[in-house]
Amino acid sequence: MLKAEINELLTQTGPRTPMGELFREYWIPALLAEELPDDDCPPVRVKLLSERLIAFRDSQGRYGLIDEFCAHRGVSLWFGRNEESGLRCAYHGWKYDVTGACTEIPSEPDDSTFHCKVKLTSYPLVQIGDVLWTHMGDPTRRPPLPEFEFTMVAAEQTFISKRWQECNWLQALEGGIDSSHVSWLHSGGLKSDPLFKGAKGNEYNLKDRKPFFEVAEADGGLFIGARRNAEDDHYYWRITPWIMPSFTMVPPRGDHPIHGHFWIPIDDHNCWTYSFDYHPIRALTPAEVQAMRDGHGVHSANIPGTYRPVANKDNDYLMDREAQRRGETFSGVKGIAIQDASLQESMGPIVDRRKERLVTTDAGIIKARHKLRKAVLALRDHGTVPPGVDPAHHRVRSAAVVLPCERAFLDSSRDALRAIAGVPQATV
Amino acid sequence: MQPILLNSCTRAATAEEARFRIDAPIPGRDGTRVIALDAAAATVVRRLAKRRHTATRLLAVAEDGVSADGSLSLREMDGRVSNLGSELVDADLIVMVASADADPVAAHLIADGCSSRGIMTTGVILEHGPPDGPALEALRPHARVLMVTHDDSDVAEVLSALRA
Repeated sequence: MLKAEINELLTQTGPRTPMGELFREYWIPALLAEELPDDDCPPVRVKLLSERLIAFRDSQGRYGLIDEFCAHRGVSLWFGRNEESGLRCAYHGWKYDVTGACTEIPSEPDDSTFHCKVKLTSYPLVQIGDVLWTHMGDPTRRPPLPEFEFTMVAAEQTFISKRWQECNWLQALEGGIDSSHVSWLHSGGLKSDPLFKGAKGNEYNLKDRKPFFEVAEADGGLFIGARRNAEDDHYYWRITPWIMPSFTMVPPRGDHPIHGHFWIPIDDHNCWTYSFDYHPIRALTPAEVQAMRDGHGVHSANIPGTYRPVANKDNDYLMDREAQRRGETFSGVKGIAIQDASLQESMGPIVDRRKERLVTTDAGIIKARHKLRKAVLALRDHGTVPPGVDPAHHRVRSAAVVLPCERAFLDSSRDALRAIAGVPQATV
Repeated sequence: MQPILLNSCTRAATAEEARFRIDAPIPGRDGTRVIALDAAAATVVRRLAKRRHTATRLLAVAEDGVSADGSLSLREMDGRVSNLGSELVDADLIVMVASADADPVAAHLIADGCSSRGIMTTGVILEHGPPDGPALEALRPHARVLMVTHDDSDVAEVLSALRA
């Protein structure tokens, strides 16, 4: 349960909101590199943290993320011409470079310098891995670039997709740190999904539906350990890192790639779910990549040419009650990503957390909310840099391990939870 | 016929429709007992008692509270004496709060009592030293949920989130 004002504090991310300011401390995914595939390719409308922007790649391969609307008459630059190192407004030909600086106003005299006085808001846009990242905060507080492992491995070892999720970012994130739903909602996928099935760990998951939980502090956020019974005197641990504000990794299964998510607010009623898979020591197989493209694992099959899932709220997520009855899916919705999305969107655009009945197995969610709130207030009141900004905090992994009962998960898994290049993941 | 009408989720999940959700009052939890397992944890719980006025009972293991017969004496924050058996009668959740000096025997007795009555157990470990200290070792076998935190205010946060 949260008071209304705290729910509002944590869910509102527009300009000048406290949580919005927190998000603006971080480098966040703005779009996928595939959305701007070539120099002078069509610009892309981007809405992030309730700000309408336009992304483009100029003739020299430089990326820009600027105010969507021309300074002159407020026309959308999405209609503009991306040519000769700038984006030219289709209305009267005003032209902008990747920094938002106006480089040309055709109606002014040839030697006019008036254009030098016109500049649109702009944010940096940097490719790391297959993601274009931006920092929308104060440039004087701009941190070093992010170092998440999925973006640092070779291109053939990693895959990322994104999907539009029609709800507030926080309820989507909370799904990512809620390990207890896996044995229920995703139980069908553990048996059949090509990116999940076959792992020994799945048996522990399915046999023990009442896991024990441990929530522990991490430099960048939290480690959430879910413990289930394994063989005699041993526990099966699944350890999920949460790096503030909205990055989580799913513990691996067998030799399947590791996956995880970013949830990035579009506005207060919508977010982007970025879902990645990578393997720390080998290339993804063609079959794995195809499965990801087809929407298996944490990915979704999207409507071609869009990032909207084929199964969405307009078609009741293609609910299949017969498959549910046959036990192929627990909820009747197919695919792990859409199983999550369907339920999280069903809560409404922003769930009213005053009406929750949380239980102690929600400790990860309770602690994450508390940490977010404290970080928001510390930033607002004292300018404190929040956890998760430092790239050192990004170098973590999820892990799945079997440990003797008496061993502490954090103590025994320190190396497993560290992202070290060339070292295999700890998995069962 | 389709099992679900087309577009029903589209309508049902809007902010407008959220206004029609049943708004019945939600009662607080009255079966929660918070038990501090050591002196440092008792200080945190005592501070909590001054600020919180809910049905949650706030207790600490009494000095020399573990008896040879396996019973456990507790003290309320105002000094009144209680015992584990009577506190568990109407309980549905026990939150054990511990710092570095948690008594593993007390944790064991509480967990045993809870286990036989189907009472949920949770531990909050106020860890200001190195992680994975003796308190964690003492509570791990006995708490279905453990939170290890550097932040004493998490105790209040957990209770508030649970409506306790």
